[in-house]
Amino acid sequence: MYKSLLEKDPDCRNLYDSIIKGDIDSSDIYAKSLVNKYEPVDIIQECMSPAMKTVGEMFERLEIFLPEVIAAADAFEAAMKHVGPKLEAFRQVAPRRGKVVIGTIQGDIHDLGKNIVALMLKANGFEVYDLGKDVPVHKFVEKAEEVKADIIAVSVLLSTSLPFVKDLIKLLKERNLRDKYILMVGGGAVTREWATEVGADGYGENASEAVRAAIELLQRKR
Amino acid sequence: MLSFIDIIKRAEEGPKVDEKEFDLKWVYNNVKELVKEYDIKYNPEELIVTSEDFINNVFEAGFQLALRTGIYVVEYRSVIKFSEEEIKEGIKTARAQLVVGEGADSRILYSRKIEDQRAPFIMGGHAGAPYPDDLYFVSALSYMQEPIIDGINHGGIAVVNGLDVRTRSPLEALAAIKELMYLREAARIAGRPGIHLLAAESGVTAIGDLAAINSEYGLRKTDAHLVPVLNEMKTDWDRLIKAIVFKIRGGINCSLVDPVIGGFFGGPAGVAIGFIASFLLSRLVYQADYYIIHPIHNKWVSTSVPEGLWVLSTVGQAMSKHTNFILMGDVWTSNGAGSQEIFWEIVANTITNVVTGSHPLGVSATNGKYPHASGLETRFMGEVAHASIKLSRREANEIVKIFLKKYHPEKTEKPNIGKPIYELYDVKTMRPRDWWLNIYKQAVKEVAEYGIKIA
Repeated sequence: MYKSLLEKDPDCRNLYDSIIKGDIDSSDIYAKSLVNKYEPVDIIQECMSPAMKTVGEMFERLEIFLPEVIAAADAFEAAMKHVGPKLEAFRQVAPRRGKVVIGTIQGDIHDLGKNIVALMLKANGFEVYDLGKDVPVHKFVEKAEEVKADIIAVSVLLSTSLPFVKDLIKLLKERNLRDKYILMVGGGAVTREWATEVGADGYGENASEAVRAAIELLQRKR
Repeated sequence: MLSFIDIIKRAEEGPKVDEKEFDLKWVYNNVKELVKEYDIKYNPEELIVTSEDFINNVFEAGFQLALRTGIYVVEYRSVIKFSEEEIKEGIKTARAQLVVGEGADSRILYSRKIEDQRAPFIMGGHAGAPYPDDLYFVSALSYMQEPIIDGINHGGIAVVNGLDVRTRSPLEALAAIKELMYLREAARIAGRPGIHLLAAESGVTAIGDLAAINSEYGLRKTDAHLVPVLNEMKTDWDRLIKAIVFKIRGGINCSLVDPVIGGFFGGPAGVAIGFIASFLLSRLVYQADYYIIHPIHNKWVSTSVPEGLWVLSTVGQAMSKHTNFILMGDVWTSNGAGSQEIFWEIVANTITNVVTGSHPLGVSATNGKYPHASGLETRFMGEVAHASIKLSRREANEIVKIFLKKYHPEKTEKPNIGKPIYELYDVKTMRPRDWWLNIYKQAVKEVAEYGIKIA
C-alpha cells in the first residue's frame, strides 16, 4: 500500500510541522535533509503544500492569525531555498501551480485583504509576486511580463480606485495582452456583478474564494 | 493636551521602524503578550460579557498596548509614543457630551454607559456604501424623513455625471461637494435643515474632505467627518491633514477604528484590546470627539457575526466604564434591504450595542457593497434601540443568541442581498412599497415576542 512521504519519513512530518509553526530554522534543516533523498516535486507536494493548506484552513477558522500565516509563508520560503534550485530542473514536468502578480491598485493604501489573499495563494502552491499597495496600473503589466505570470490579481477597497482597474484592462488590451493573462479582482469595493461588467475573468468574495477561482481559471486555461 | 504641532514633531523625531516590523513586533507581539498577561478570552456563549473584572482587564490591557506601542506614521516610517500621563490626559479631557447639528435639529450626543436607560442617539444611513449620484439623493431622503434618526452617515458618491470618481482626482473633490449638497437638500426637503451629518465619505483622501468643508452647503462646525486609524495602529499624512484642518475650523473629528479579526491584532481578544489602544491614541493624535467601533470579520466582514458582536460589546463596556468617550457601534449586515434576514441581523447587532455603552450606527446593508438599502430598516434599528434600553446584559445576551441563530452562518455565507431603493420605495411618494413594509411589520411582530416592544 502506498505511503505518503508525510507518513513514512519523519523529516517530512517535521518539515510540515515547522511550516505550520512558522519555524524558519527547522524548516531549513528538514528541507536540506529531504532534498538529498527525494525529488523536489514530491517534497513540495507531500510535505510543504499540505502544511500551507492546513495553515489556510486554520486561519479561516481563526485558530491562527495573519502574523502566523506570514511566519508560515516565511518558513515555506526557507524550505524553498533548498528545494527551489533543484525544482528548476523539473519545472517542465511539474511546475508550481502558477504565477500570480498581485497588488492593491493605484490610489488605495489598504493592503490587509490583499496580503491575506497573497498568502493564501502561496499556501496553495502559487508563485506570488506582491507589488504592495497604491500600485500604478502599468506596474502590474510590467511585472506580469517580466515574470511571465499567469494571473494578475487586483485588490480594491476604495470605490474611488475602481476606475484604475478599468485602466488596467484598457492598457492590457492596447498592448494586445488581455488574453495572455487571467485577470482577477476582489476587495471591499468590488462586487461580483462589477467584476463581470468590466470583463474580469475571476472574482473572490474572500480569500478562499479567490484561491478557488485562481485554481479553476488556471486549469481551464491550460 | 498635546498640540498638533507636538504630534508632528514627534512623528518627525520618533524612532524609525520598518512597517512590517511594526506590524509583527510592535503590534502583534505586544498584543499577544497582553492577551496572555490579562487572560482575555473570547467566549461565544457569552457575547455580552458581564464580568466586571474582565471588562477592567480589557481596558487595562488596551491602555498598556497604547503605551507600549504608540502609533505608526506611514510616510515618516516612524512611531509616535506617548507617556502614561499623556494618555490619561487624553481620557480626562474627552468631552462626555457634544451638541451636534443646528437649531431645532440639534441633539445631545453623549457618552453612553453600560445598561444605560437613556434614549440612544440614532445615527442612520448606508454608511460606507458607494452610490452613483443619481441614486444618492433619493436614498439619502429615505433616511432624512425618518424622525427617529438623529444624525446621518450615508455613504459616498462614486459616480458623478456618469464619470467614475478616482482617488486624488478633481472628481474626488466634486463628488464630496455634491454629496454634501445632496445631503443638505434632502435634509431641507425633510424639514430638518440642521440635522447632524457625519459626512464627506466621497473623499477618501484629504482632497475630498477639505473640498466639502463649507458652512453654507457643506460640512459645518456642528457636523463631523471620519478620521480612520489605519490597520493597525497607523496613521498617515492624509488622515492627519483631515484631522488638523477640520479641528482648526471648529468641526468634530470622528475616529473610525476598523481592525480585521484575524489580522495583526489576532483574534477577538486581541482585537478588543487593539480597539481600546487605537481609541486612546486617536484621542491624542486626531483630537477625536467621538468614536466608531467597527470590527471586520476575516471571512464574513459583517459586524453581526458572533466574534464581531463579542468585540462590540466588550470594547463598548471597557471604554464606557473607564472613559467618557462617546461611542458608536456599527451595524453592518451581510443581508440587504428587501430581505427578511436583514432584520434579524439588526436585532442582534443593535441590542448588543445599546446595552453595552454604544449608540447604534447603520444600517450598512450588504456590508456597504451594494446600494441595496433604505430608511425603513434603519427606522427598525432605531426602534429596536429605543425598545431595548431596559434590558440587562444577561437578558440581551439571550435574545442576541436567539436571533443570531436565525441568520448565522447560513445567511452570512449566502446572504440575500436585497434590492435597490427604486424597488423598495415608490420614489414619487417616498414611501416604502407594500411588500417591503409588510416584511418590516412582520419583523416588528417577531421581535415583540422577545419583549422588544415597538410602539
